[in-house]
Order: sequence, then structure tokens, then C-alpha cells
Amino acid sequence: MSFELISNTIAAILTLCIFSFLYKDNPFYKFAESLFIGVSMGYAIPLVYENAFIPFVWTPIFVEHRLIILIPTIMGIFYIFRFTKNLSWLSRFPIVFGMAIVGMGVPMSIHGSVLVQMRSAMLPLDNINTVLIFIGTVTILMYFFFSKEHKGLYGKITNVGVWFMMIGFGASFGYTVMARISLLIGRIQFLVGDWLGLIK
Amino acid sequence: MEKIKPRNFFDRMQALDRRYIYLVVALSIILPLIIPFNSKTYVTEPTENVYKKIDSYAGRKDRAILMCFSHDASTMAELFPMEVAILRHCFERKIPVFTICFMPAAKPLMDYAIMTAKEDYNVQSGIDYLSFGYKPYGLFLPILLGMGDDISEAVETDDQGRKIDSLPIMKEIRNYNEMNLVIDFAASAAVYSWIIYARAKFGVNVAAGITAVMAADNYPYLQTGQLTGMLSGLKGAAEYEKLVDIFATHRDENGNIASREFSKEILKETWIKLSDIQDRRYKTARIGMNAQTVAHVMIIVFILLGNVGYFVTRKKDIEPTG
Repeated sequence: MSFELISNTIAAILTLCIFSFLYKDNPFYKFAESLFIGVSMGYAIPLVYENAFIPFVWTPIFVEHRLIILIPTIMGIFYIFRFTKNLSWLSRFPIVFGMAIVGMGVPMSIHGSVLVQMRSAMLPLDNINTVLIFIGTVTILMYFFFSKEHKGLYGKITNVGVWFMMIGFGASFGYTVMARISLLIGRIQFLVGDWLGLIK
Repeated sequence: MEKIKPRNFFDRMQALDRRYIYLVVALSIILPLIIPFNSKTYVTEPTENVYKKIDSYAGRKDRAILMCFSHDASTMAELFPMEVAILRHCFERKIPVFTICFMPAAKPLMDYAIMTAKEDYNVQSGIDYLSFGYKPYGLFLPILLGMGDDISEAVETDDQGRKIDSLPIMKEIRNYNEMNLVIDFAASAAVYSWIIYARAKFGVNVAAGITAVMAADNYPYLQTGQLTGMLSGLKGAAEYEKLVDIFATHRDENGNIASREFSKEILKETWIKLSDIQDRRYKTARIGMNAQTVAHVMIIVFILLGNVGYFVTRKKDIEPTG
């Protein structure tokens, strides 16, 4: 029995354990779920230790004696105080630094998600696509203008916006169905192909 | 005493145990996988654009692409085939390729993709491709921004702990001016960070390999040109596999590899039979699309039946009983 066959058989049994939830909740499902969480954590901890703690904390401080690294290290340790009752306030300091990074992203986000999008919505109305983009953008923006009651002509215009949004949600839902089926296909390809060898 | 209404077909459908539906969906996937057929894969423009952009770097040592793996095994079915197809394209057309990940769970998938794609090629780490390996997520922004100035300073070491500035692949590659295309494979909005930082600040080309769930969210960036191209879900992977087969790994009459440039005409005329491709790894997404086609038809039938049943039973409930 080759290693590949053994590993595929274990993976197949665990996959079937997870699929058994479709029938009803059962201990096999719970076992596979817990095992997955344990293995993920077990894998991640040494990887992070090896790739983050050793090169960015241990080596600079204890090998290269760059004591300035103690400051971010202590800041990082403050995060752990989140779990204590009396000292949880210390965790706010690293959070503040995190927020500063978020702040750095604001102008760039405005550029990418607002300014460039606006520029692309302001195109000459010379084909059906730009006309649809124009109508969709304006009517949806009007729908989200809540200072005026959606009644009469204004209500009819905002209704057009609702239709545009419904089409958008439909497209998203269609893609979601496609994605979920793809994941199922991937698992069944593994079971039927890699494990049972029935796909040629 | 109240009379029990006769149960017709639609009543029974409305009350159908959901497990029967699971069974039908499972069968509609298993059968097309076991009994394959050639469903036609139409290549869409976003996929074409990714292919053309990568192919424009063919044979150049002063251009490279970066593949960022931002997903775990849960979305492997959709993203892994596209990663293998892109790596094959790069190896076949001698395009320097770098890989990186910021999630621990993405690391084995990244290694597996490289291992799978390089099996048929004589490529070497540090010369033809280079894995930067796993980097902690806390370093995502410093690395992303740092690569705009100097990649070897921002990343420092590769997967095997080697200093990357001394490796042959880095000889003509310094920053985003050379590594001018970043493809992020994600089941989340990870590609957004590349758009707002790398694209906006350094003008680097950004493409996305994303799960179908995320596709609708990313279309606005595609439409505004902030994304060079996009592979969406299993369909995008199937399209890319097809492009690689038709152009990058094209064979002449003697069976020798004779790569050719992308051409819409050739794409239109060429028909690839899946049974002609011996290696299943290179047609995973296309086999999957066969099952996808049948499953979608089944779902459409279920939706139609459900809606017809709903309206029929509602009409019956409204009608006054004589």
C-alpha cells in the first residue's frame, strides 16, 4: 500500500465524515471538524514561530543585540493582556498603531474605490453599456437618499434603482451557487478520481 | 370534520425532504465526472487579458510576475487549477515567476502548486522561479510597499532561507518596474489591498484569481481598469487551462512543443477534446465544468419547479372551496 493511497484514504474518510452532516449532525462530523481545527492550529503555530518569532524577535534581540526591537515586541505582548481583567487596557496601545495603518489606507481607498469609480461612471453616453451604468448609478444613489420620501415620480425612479440592485444581487447569488457547486465538485473529483480512480 | 386536501405533485415537491435534493445534486456531479463529455469552454475577455499580459513577458529576464496565494484549502477546488495553469504557462514560456503567501494555511498549497506544475519542466528554484515562502501577515504592508523600491530588501530571504539578492533570477529584477504583474489568488477581498496600495502608488498591473463568490465584487475594479484581468472561479480556471493548451503548450505535427502567440482566430477555430489530454492535472477545471454544467441545469429545474409549485399551491389556497 503506497503512501499516496494511505493519505488519500484518510482524506477520503474525513471528507465522508464531513459530508455525513448532510444527513444529520453526528459524532463523525464532530470528530472531523475538531481534528481540522486542531491540525490547522498545530500547523500554524510552529510556522509562525519559525517565520515570525525567530527572524523578527529572537534573532534581532538575542543574536544581533538590536535592543530597539524590544519596543515593538513589548507592544506586541500588550495584545495578550486583552484576556486579563485589570490590564486589558494595555492592549489599546498596539490597537492604536493598527488604526494608524488603517488611516494610511484611507486616501488610497478613496482613490481606488471612489475617485476612479466616479471617473469611469462619467463616460460619454455613446453606447448601451454607458447608458445603463449612468441610469443604474443615478437611480441607486437616489434610492439611498432617504431625506426625501420615495413617493410619486421620485418613488418610480428609485424603483428603477431597486431593479438594478436586484439584478446585481441575482448575479452575486448566481456566482455564489457556482462557487459552492465548484467546491463540491472539487471534493467529489478527489473522492471519485484521486481515491477511487474512476475519472480518466 | 375538515377534509384533508388531496396531495398532488406540487404539494409533494413542496414537502420534499431536502436530502433527496442533495442526492440528486450529488448524482448530477458524479455522473458527468465518470462519464465525461466535451462541454465547450468559452474564453472571456478578463481571462484573455491575464493570459496576454503574462505572455507578453515570454522569454524576458527583465520582467516577472508575482503570484500571491491568499487562500486556504477550503477554496482549493476553484483556485488551485488556475494556479497550476498559470505556473505551467510561465514555465513553458520561460517567464520568471515569484510566489508568496501571508497565510500559514496557504503555504502547503503554494508548494503543492509549484510541485505539480514543475513536474514536466526542467526548472530550478532561484533561476526560473522563486518562492518567497510564507511571510507573517503583519509584514504584508511593509513588504507590499517595500517591493516598490527594492524587492530583495523588502523580502530579504526566500523559502529556503537564501538571501534573494544573490540569486540569478534577481539579476535584472529590482522592483515593480520589472515585476510588473501581481496576481492575487483569494477567496476574500485580499486583492483590494494590491489595488489600493500597489496599483495606486506604484502603477503595478494587478490581476485577480478569485472564487466565483468574489467575482461580482471585483467587476467594478475590472471595469475601471484597476484590474488588468480576472479569473473567476472554476470557469476562469477552465478558460486559462484551455488557453495554455492552445497557445503555450501547443504541439506541431511531430508532437514537439511549438508555443504560439495569442490569436482570437486560432482560439475560435481550435477545438480540444478532453480525452486527448492524458494528464488529468491539466484538465481538472474543464472536467469540473462538465459537472458544473449538469449541476446548474438541475438547480435551474429545481428553482422552476419550486416556483411553479409555490404559485400553484398559493392559487389553490386562495380559491374558495365550494
